[in-house]
Amino acid sequence: MMKKMMVAAALALGVSPALAQDFGSKELIDAANKEGRLVYYTANFAEVEQQVINAFNKRFPNIKVEMVRAPGGQLITRVKTEAAAGKLAADVVDHSDRALMAELVDLFQDYAPPNAGDYIPEAQISPKLWPRATLVWSIAYNTELVKNPPKTWMDLTKPEYNNKQIGQVFAASGGTTWTRIMFERQVLGEDYWKKQAATNPVLFPSGAPTSDSLVRGEISIAPLLYNAIYPKQKDGAPIKIFFAPEGAPVNPYATGIPKTAKNPNAAKLFLNWCLSLEGQTFMIKELGNLTSLKVAPVYPEGFDPKVVKVWLPKFDEYVKYHAAWVEEWNKTYGYRQ
Amino acid sequence: MDASASWRTETIGERAGGIRRHAAATAWVVALLAILGFLVVYPVLMLLLGALTDTNPVIDGFGVFRLSIANFIAVLTNPNVGDALVNTLIACGGGTALAVIIGLTFSWIVVRTNTPGKRFIAAVSMLPLFAPPLVAGIAWVILGSPKTGLLNTMFKWMNLDLRVDFYSLSGLIFVFGVYYAPYVYMFTASALRNMDPSLEEAAEVSGASAFATLFSVTFPLIMPAIVSGMLLSFIVMLGIYGIPAVLGAPTNINVLTTYIFRLTNWSPPLYNTAAAVAIILMMVTGLLVWLQQKVLTGRSYTTVAGKAFRPRSLDLGRWRWFTFSLAIVYLLVVVVLPLLALIVAAFRKFMFIRDAASLFDMRQYSLMHFNAIFDNPLTLRSIYNAVEVGITTAIVGGALAFAIGYTIHRTQVTGRGAIDLLATLPVAIPGLVIGVAYLWAWIGLPGGLYGTIWILALAFIARFMPDTVKVLSTSFLQIHRELEEAAWICGKGMLGSIRTVILPLARPGVIAAMTLLFVLAIRELGSSLFLYTSNTMVMSVLLLDYYEGGNLGKTAAFSLVQTLLLGVLIGLANWLSRGAAQTSVGRTG
Repeated sequence: MMKKMMVAAALALGVSPALAQDFGSKELIDAANKEGRLVYYTANFAEVEQQVINAFNKRFPNIKVEMVRAPGGQLITRVKTEAAAGKLAADVVDHSDRALMAELVDLFQDYAPPNAGDYIPEAQISPKLWPRATLVWSIAYNTELVKNPPKTWMDLTKPEYNNKQIGQVFAASGGTTWTRIMFERQVLGEDYWKKQAATNPVLFPSGAPTSDSLVRGEISIAPLLYNAIYPKQKDGAPIKIFFAPEGAPVNPYATGIPKTAKNPNAAKLFLNWCLSLEGQTFMIKELGNLTSLKVAPVYPEGFDPKVVKVWLPKFDEYVKYHAAWVEEWNKTYGYRQ
Repeated sequence: MDASASWRTETIGERAGGIRRHAAATAWVVALLAILGFLVVYPVLMLLLGALTDTNPVIDGFGVFRLSIANFIAVLTNPNVGDALVNTLIACGGGTALAVIIGLTFSWIVVRTNTPGKRFIAAVSMLPLFAPPLVAGIAWVILGSPKTGLLNTMFKWMNLDLRVDFYSLSGLIFVFGVYYAPYVYMFTASALRNMDPSLEEAAEVSGASAFATLFSVTFPLIMPAIVSGMLLSFIVMLGIYGIPAVLGAPTNINVLTTYIFRLTNWSPPLYNTAAAVAIILMMVTGLLVWLQQKVLTGRSYTTVAGKAFRPRSLDLGRWRWFTFSLAIVYLLVVVVLPLLALIVAAFRKFMFIRDAASLFDMRQYSLMHFNAIFDNPLTLRSIYNAVEVGITTAIVGGALAFAIGYTIHRTQVTGRGAIDLLATLPVAIPGLVIGVAYLWAWIGLPGGLYGTIWILALAFIARFMPDTVKVLSTSFLQIHRELEEAAWICGKGMLGSIRTVILPLARPGVIAAMTLLFVLAIRELGSSLFLYTSNTMVMSVLLLDYYEGGNLGKTAAFSLVQTLLLGVLIGLANWLSRGAAQTSVGRTG
């Protein structure tokens, strides 16, 4: 009887019970609301994640998400150090480097979202860790400065773009960049780095300063994570972005809930929402992500799945080649650690 | 009772009191030493331990601790560390040379010439001390980038064949030099003021020109002050992270502080190696502090005699307008230009500036970045946290510094030398290094210090202990012992005399020390980087986050907010302490 009344009330309020079910059971939502907060560790950019949190709070306004944002290496150390001391504060850990997360898999509890079956299995390295965000590489250029824009990845080796016109994120910066340089070597050819390095690009520690430098005109062209540059184009910056025909390297994140989470229900609800159709659609449309859902609800602007091939690294190679290839990349680009 | 009996009972009573006082004094010294050991020695030992092992003492436990000097060997044989060390020495050496030229020039102009507006010039000479290094660095990125810098845009517009490139060692030297000149100024100005002019008069009577007198008599006489200021500015530059982080990054120029931060930032991060580099940085700094002490105590440079004198004022004639314009140029370089650059970046939608005409195109300006930073709940929270940490640091640190200062200067207890030494030790430890040391020292301990604002506050208290004690000491030394003795004679105990005599008299000094601590704490970046958590994000860390998040507009907007806030706070502090807090606000990185 009670249940019937609730369904009726839900229908009266215009909330479809099926949709509510997408994010978890009523018990979960109640428990999450009771916890009222969660601590969210992420390696993604704070600005981007703040938008995710705001969107989540539109649906669940009573759960406060406290974010700790740190670059990949620092975040892993923080998680390891805190966990060893029994003081891991995170309810959700979200990281771009799946190899680093694979080492920590024992810290995490079993978790799967309601729509678990909709996800591509290859995007996961453990059943506990989920591709909350899936980032894709694009190429962007400053329209005020580039009169003859590149059209492919291979174009970035052209001498006409030499002498510090191109910006690159260096290989050791983290999981997403490592995916791109793997793609360059495995798809574009063993000598791609050498030819690209010959244009004497400017090297950056991460995508954010690269995209800012592109907008300011410090550099003219750069391979960039689509989500690092798309918001600036949306705001009207003099930028054009395209996906090159040779392929679009894609890096799924690994996100999980630690066993020690103090707000496990809020954490589950937050991840359920992020991984839901609504959450993924938001991240694609507003932030410029892709998705690891088998059937993508939409594609980011300019991304035509019939033309652009998504490229996902093989995980064993992702782990196996890392040290040696990064070192070789550093040598080729003259980047010294 | 006869007189001798009464005398005997008094001595017995006194002796018992003496023993009690002695026991209390010993307990007091032990307590202070324990607090300082806890605040300073223990974290440094943890850092040393980390540098001497290849395991993480926190993660792996002390059971697997293997003593090895592998990290030091790795660090010493790594050519990049060598490069970073060389860059550090060049940048700080060059910066110091420039700081000496600027600082000495202005102290001479202010104290010894009839240049107009001397009070104004004196204020301008101290101004850069209040600029947080990261904010100064960001402003000079906007001004001095080789491709898009506003200076270059303006040069192009004026058809000048002149280009600047601040992404270089010379850029670093310039920014270091202009922002840390006040250290040299502080020392040399007071030395010039206290100098007896009779030696200079003698030189001139013997036929030396004013110029020759300056270089053969005046400057050699104040040499200890010059060397002190020089070494101090060098030490401060060594520990700065914000300026080299933003100016050196685009061209991959590393100094020791930025290298330490990078080591902790890689995947996987190299904390042990970072600890070893940190120890090297500490040793270089320690050596310089020792050198400074030696210079100050080594030789006699007495120029102040018992008779009264007025410092001579040189009539510069028409040249006084030239010296005045030097001050204007300095003001332009350290305040006006950087502030304009921050304003342009903060209000402009995008920092792509085609030419000078587009710079003045008002359609390009909006409040978008300010809206964005205040939409982010972290912004207000970081301001609130920074103020909370600042107040905690000021109250606890001020009280501790008072206890230490009183013990060192007003008592004869044994062990006060050790207290003095431990309280001065943090001068030699750069902020970034204190951060790493505190992380290692506290996270492993049971109890709730990690993740609270207390870990930040304690790190700041330790880091700024030398500055606070120094400010307080001055006011202790000004209070004559007679006043305290009078209180004793009137039957007050030691605590009573502190409460009724010392505290009221030293109040301006105490307030100065506390406001100084407050300002230093809310500016501090280096040691906060490793100690903040989601609840304890502070302003300076968030600013770095905005910068690394790659949005110059938001970074500039938040820099302006921070500058405004600091301006108000320092104004307030100055008003409260009547100027006494100005002495050492610049030692943060």
